[in-house]
Amino acid sequence: MKATQRQTNNSALGSENTQNAGTTNTRETKQASGKQLVVIIFILAMATKMFLLPIFVIQAAGRDGYLILTVYGVFDLVTLVPMIIAIRKCDVDFFELLSSVLGKVGGKIVVAIIGLFLFFKLNAAVAEILTFYGTNVLADFDTSIMIIVLLVFLAAAGTHTLRSLSRLNEILVPVIVTCLAVLVAIVLLTGFDFGNILPAVDNGKRFTSALLKHPAWVGDFTPLVLFIGRTKTKKYTWCFAAGSGVIGTGIAVFFAIALSAAFGNVPMLIDSTTNISNILQFSVGNVYGRLDMFSSVVWSVSVFIEAALFFYATCRCVAFVIGKNEHFVISIGACVATYIVQVFALTDPMILSLCVTSYACAIITPIMAAGIPLLALVCGAVYNKKRKSGDKAAGREGV
Amino acid sequence: MTVRKKLLIYKVLLFLLAFFIAFLPTTSLRNKEVNSRVIVGILGLDGGDGDKIRLTVQYVMPTEAQGSTGKDTVTVEGETLDEAAETLNTALGRRVELGHCSMVIVGADAKPELLGSLMTATDVTADVWMAAADGKAEDLIVDLTEFMSKTGATDANFIAYGARKAHIATNTLLGFLSDLGSASKTAYIPLVEMQSGKASEGGDSGGSGGGQGGGNGGKSEGGEKASEQKTGMKVEKLAMYGESGRVGIFDSTAARGVAWVSAPVEKGTVCSDVEYDGKTIKGVCGRLLKKHASIVVDEKSGEATIKIKAFIEPHGDKFNTLFATNRKKADDALIAGYTKKIKGEVERAIASSLATNSDPMFIGREFYRYYPDYYKSQYDYYSVKIKYDIQIALK
Repeated sequence: MKATQRQTNNSALGSENTQNAGTTNTRETKQASGKQLVVIIFILAMATKMFLLPIFVIQAAGRDGYLILTVYGVFDLVTLVPMIIAIRKCDVDFFELLSSVLGKVGGKIVVAIIGLFLFFKLNAAVAEILTFYGTNVLADFDTSIMIIVLLVFLAAAGTHTLRSLSRLNEILVPVIVTCLAVLVAIVLLTGFDFGNILPAVDNGKRFTSALLKHPAWVGDFTPLVLFIGRTKTKKYTWCFAAGSGVIGTGIAVFFAIALSAAFGNVPMLIDSTTNISNILQFSVGNVYGRLDMFSSVVWSVSVFIEAALFFYATCRCVAFVIGKNEHFVISIGACVATYIVQVFALTDPMILSLCVTSYACAIITPIMAAGIPLLALVCGAVYNKKRKSGDKAAGREGV
Repeated sequence: MTVRKKLLIYKVLLFLLAFFIAFLPTTSLRNKEVNSRVIVGILGLDGGDGDKIRLTVQYVMPTEAQGSTGKDTVTVEGETLDEAAETLNTALGRRVELGHCSMVIVGADAKPELLGSLMTATDVTADVWMAAADGKAEDLIVDLTEFMSKTGATDANFIAYGARKAHIATNTLLGFLSDLGSASKTAYIPLVEMQSGKASEGGDSGGSGGGQGGGNGGKSEGGEKASEQKTGMKVEKLAMYGESGRVGIFDSTAARGVAWVSAPVEKGTVCSDVEYDGKTIKGVCGRLLKKHASIVVDEKSGEATIKIKAFIEPHGDKFNTLFATNRKKADDALIAGYTKKIKGEVERAIASSLATNSDPMFIGREFYRYYPDYYKSQYDYYSVKIKYDIQIALK
């Protein structure tokens, strides 16, 4: 009798451990506050969208580059709506949600696919960081060594909790916002000609081609699935969350407009490998020194946060799929995988470029970007319905 | 492994990493940062012999000894700009830092596409100021270096400051390339000339001073060894560029006309002859406080209206005399005088642009922005009817 009871307890514990593999290394379910969610959304909305993407779309579409970025931004904002509803409506975390609705095996298969997508997004972000820092800011520093510094940070993020990551972001956001304000002021004070973005879509074919080549940059809100069932929210958190998404996207579009106006006539001159000033080159007429350089470097920290979120989400997916909550081992494994991809598989930037601009990527990425929040929303609704009917049945049995 | 142990490992790893980054480059590698660099302040581009490109730089080579930093120039040649830039490193024996360059001087024979390469293939930043030399950029840089040594000016930016205060249309590297790539296919660069004066060495007296026209300055009296010295700069004219290269030089009046419309200039002085009570009062001056300029185009009439609103603060004894007699009448006379002056300068710029087949007011660009179909099918700069709407607000 005792042996049977112990066995039952062990199996229950084992089941909990397996489920917790998807969760973080703390037993607290509500890990992030509503405020932290709001600032995370702000960072996700703009980080990679105003990093190197404006350069790529301007190279491909000239002065219409900002329009392409606007389309992607609006698409992501649309996907943010079901994500916010899912965070609001669901009390259990994303992995538990999938397990209970799709079954254990089905849940793992879906999470494995999502994990692969997040790993792809992580590598795209890391490749951008390495391009920016490896060829511009620290040109003499070997990227295969530089990436180790980044991976140490990512590993640290992967072994901590969602709460830690959210807190880190919360601390950094005021600095990032201040630097963005400096950059916005520089752009406005320099008084360059915004009229250069006209005429819009003068070359329709070129615009369509560029639009179809860069959807790899949508889906920035997908790591938010980690916040499902783990966010302490207040009454108007949802409004602020949506608002911060709109503001973040607005800032990204503003800088894309500025760059399109500056390089619209000469798209062949904008190049991520030229120098940092081509990213945001408007120093205040050489009068006050390179305020822009300092600001853009500090501001680019937001991309580190986004990469860390993708990394963290990838690790949680792996933990759920393998059914073990070994954060340290999984983080090291993910770092090794990222290192191999970046240093060995993507030795030639052309390979990454061909990959992210391929039609396959253009189809898969938007599907995943829209599919993940919709899946969360649908599974949340099914789960809530099941729970209600379960509660009713339990009530009837109780009666 | 316990969390405590993991944290300890992390801390040790982070410390080692920080130590590596902070100390290794300056200690183990024995790489003395400052002593290994050459900082370029001014860079000049010339066409060179045959197809070769000549690159001249004014550089500062910091050394350990205090106060031993000096400015000097060096000229190198290369088949391409990349080659020339690479040759610079070997010519000076150190890595040449182009990222701090604050001025690019373009020689008369330099091709505009070189500037595109300069921005993309080197560390020269997009917001570097542009200046044009009447002849060789190399000669101008040598003269400038001599002048800077003499005056103690340490930064090439002072040229740009001078130009901006003097109602000259300045331009940056990206601005130049963007203008040239626009529908107007025109860009301008302020022309920098040196003023010379003769200074005596060993004579009883030697005069020096800047002379108008950049040539004949002061006199030397009694000095046996009279040598020519650079006594100042003159930034009054504009070098105009088309896709093929330099198409002409605008004189100071036309250059001011371009500055009124195309450059964000908000400094400078406006002096005009004023008709008052049947008399012509010469040279009543005012300080330009700010201006708004725009070009409104209409595809139906094929017209372009140049709109300028200038806020001017008149000053000086002549203005004070006028102001004391009848303020309203004086204001009207001044407004008429300043309007005539500004319109004259803009008209001169238009006339010069027609003569050089250039469009520094960017009228073509405005047509392309708002009426791209009209621009592609019918637009012709020579047939555009130009109107003027100049408003003066006295402060």
